[in-house]
Amino acid sequence: MVKVKYLERPKLSNIERVFFADFLSGLKVTFKNLLRKTITTKYPYEKLTPPKRFRGTHAHRVKDGKEPPSFVVLEKFMEIHEGESRCVACYMCQQACPMPSLFKIEAQQLPNGKKRVTRFDMNLLNCLYCGLCVDACPVDCIIMTDEFENASDNRASCVIHMNDMCERGISFDKRRYNEPDRIWIDDKAREKLWGQIRWTYT
Amino acid sequence: MELLAVIIGIGIKSIIFIIGMFLLAAYLTLVERKFAGHVQQRPGPLHVGFHGLLQPIADALKVLTKEDIVPNFVDKYLFYLASLMAFVPAIMILAVIPFGEPITIFGYEVKPYISDVNVGLILALAFGSISIYGVIFAGWASNSKYPMIGGLRKAAVLIGYEVALGFALVGPIMLAGTFSLREIVEAQQGFFGAFIWYQPLAFVVFLFSILAETGRTPFDVQEAEAELVAGYNTEYSGMKFGLFPLAEWYIATFVLSAMAVILFFGGWNGPHIFGAVSPYIWFMLKLFLVFMFLLWVHWTLPRYRVDQITEIAWKVMLPLTFLNIFITAGIIIIKG
Repeated sequence: MVKVKYLERPKLSNIERVFFADFLSGLKVTFKNLLRKTITTKYPYEKLTPPKRFRGTHAHRVKDGKEPPSFVVLEKFMEIHEGESRCVACYMCQQACPMPSLFKIEAQQLPNGKKRVTRFDMNLLNCLYCGLCVDACPVDCIIMTDEFENASDNRASCVIHMNDMCERGISFDKRRYNEPDRIWIDDKAREKLWGQIRWTYT
Repeated sequence: MELLAVIIGIGIKSIIFIIGMFLLAAYLTLVERKFAGHVQQRPGPLHVGFHGLLQPIADALKVLTKEDIVPNFVDKYLFYLASLMAFVPAIMILAVIPFGEPITIFGYEVKPYISDVNVGLILALAFGSISIYGVIFAGWASNSKYPMIGGLRKAAVLIGYEVALGFALVGPIMLAGTFSLREIVEAQQGFFGAFIWYQPLAFVVFLFSILAETGRTPFDVQEAEAELVAGYNTEYSGMKFGLFPLAEWYIATFVLSAMAVILFFGGWNGPHIFGAVSPYIWFMLKLFLVFMFLLWVHWTLPRYRVDQITEIAWKVMLPLTFLNIFITAGIIIIKG
């Protein structure tokens, strides 16, 4: 059986009651906030750079010499040139996706026996930006970038294709590939807000 | 001929007061929005004009050009009447509020008030009470559940606090010995002449009553966004909707703050450091501070339940005012 724990209201002394102590402490809080600097961003005029791990619009990494070993293994079966998408059409992303029908992936076999990806479309209208496709990708191809302004007034432009995903991936890697992977932009700011982390000493 | 001149003079003065009050109320919305923003660490309106200075004008244009929808099953006559009934009495209180002493410009004596009747305070109270009808009519005529509940809640709150407000004013009246607002101000000379030092209890009750009458936060049960969609003005749209918050939150708050300044803070009395206009500056400064205090309370406190509010009105505020009257009367008798 579930036990209910009853909590008493904090008792106010009579002096506190007469002078509205709880009112006054509330007023103090708002007055302090009034003197503080505003913490908002004037959005269309000021844009914050999201952290590198931000789950924005999807992109494809291209074949540029920084591939993981798994790609090297698969490469000999694939017809992929330098600067083209690393995608090997393994359908892992579609398998991992909670909404698999948003992927349209197709590949064909060339006369020389190699495989070539002909289509990689994503309907972002159905995407919930969970990032499972990124985790599933065996060749570190599909990634999520820091671009988040992908609203539009027609449905056609919400579907992304392999070419523009490659472009987005190139530009993202150019901007942020070497950036250390951290959630907060600047750790000093976090320290100021929430204090330091203390590890145990051995 | 003289009568005509008086009528024209009062007419011009009234128009100036009404237009001035409209503009002031519009800019008080900006003050409130800026204040609310900074209390919540956001800047408030910024883009229309320098730091949002033209925002009230933009808002007014928007509200005026909005489609004015009247639902099918409302009581049309009362529905239209209600927005006026809420707005007009609020602005009518201005008729008896003096903003300073009479001054002489180009040989004419200009009085910065429309009329100085010797029952000004009672008149102000009466006008304030009429504005309840606007709210109740709005709630009833809308033919909808939320406005009805909102209107009835406001009526319950107002009935309780009108009584407390009336009795709270008895203390200053007894000290000044007059109902005329101008003479009440003249009775409070000097820094320690202000009635706030003699009537702190009455002032607290008065403050609570202002908050309840104008529906500001600890007592804003009548619109309670979380429970009733927007309270009694849910079914209104366009400028008819705009008149309600304008009347209640800005004009009524402004006017009642002016009453608080007159009754408790010595009105326009103050050191003559700004030359001829110093009474007006003192009055406006005090008024602004009281208004800002009310905003501060509004943007700090959460909402009481409606039964708690009426309970405070009848069980705490009313006995406090009786106690205040009793003590004041005793002191007046002893001191002679």
